Amino acid sequence: MKAELTLSPDPIDEAALAKARSITDGMGAVVTFAGVVRGREGEVAITGIDYESFDDMARRQFELIFAEIEQRWPIESVRLAHRTGIVKVNEPSLWVEVVAAHRAEAFYACQFLIDQMKQRVPIWKKPIVT
Amino acid sequence: MKLTVRFWSYFADVAGCRDAAFEVEEGTTLGELHDQVCEQSPKLADARNSTLKAVGVDYKDDNFVLSDGDEISFFPPVQGG
Repeated sequence: MKAELTLSPDPIDEAALAKARSITDGMGAVVTFAGVVRGREGEVAITGIDYESFDDMARRQFELIFAEIEQRWPIESVRLAHRTGIVKVNEPSLWVEVVAAHRAEAFYACQFLIDQMKQRVPIWKKPIVT
Repeated sequence: MKLTVRFWSYFADVAGCRDAAFEVEEGTTLGELHDQVCEQSPKLADARNSTLKAVGVDYKDDNFVLSDGDEISFFPPVQGG
């Protein structure tokens, strides 16, 4: 399974990521997910979120999650981009792509990846209040 | 032995620093170090049960025996996405 991880303060360019997609002819499913910063955190209006990452450990934990995905499902590739630093409302902070032969494993793997990230990957957010 | 303790997210504000040097006895476990950290920063003791701990880039439990030069991180539950 190919795995590509980007942790960066640079904006996530979804069009460029889609254009860079590489799949073999046996693949019939491409699942993508974008997590976007909402304009409210609970009852409070915010202008963005400041993401702090323990980069080295985040990379390690993502590697472990990718390895688990490879063991569980026949996935051809996973790409994940997570912003660090300030991300404004309506901008994506997270982008995930899973490529597989069939949709079931692609959806399962995508959900698993995000669920595991939210439990294990050391990234924290600080809302920026107006 | 000498250890480096790193605090992440709001734990850095609570501890008053991002990094701190600790000197402990040989055989000290991660749980015992956590006790010492909580003694120095009582507000961190309030979050003790939800605190996540890592040595280097891997999660470890309280029974993990530390080594000289280890870099230990304490942080609150993660919030990626």
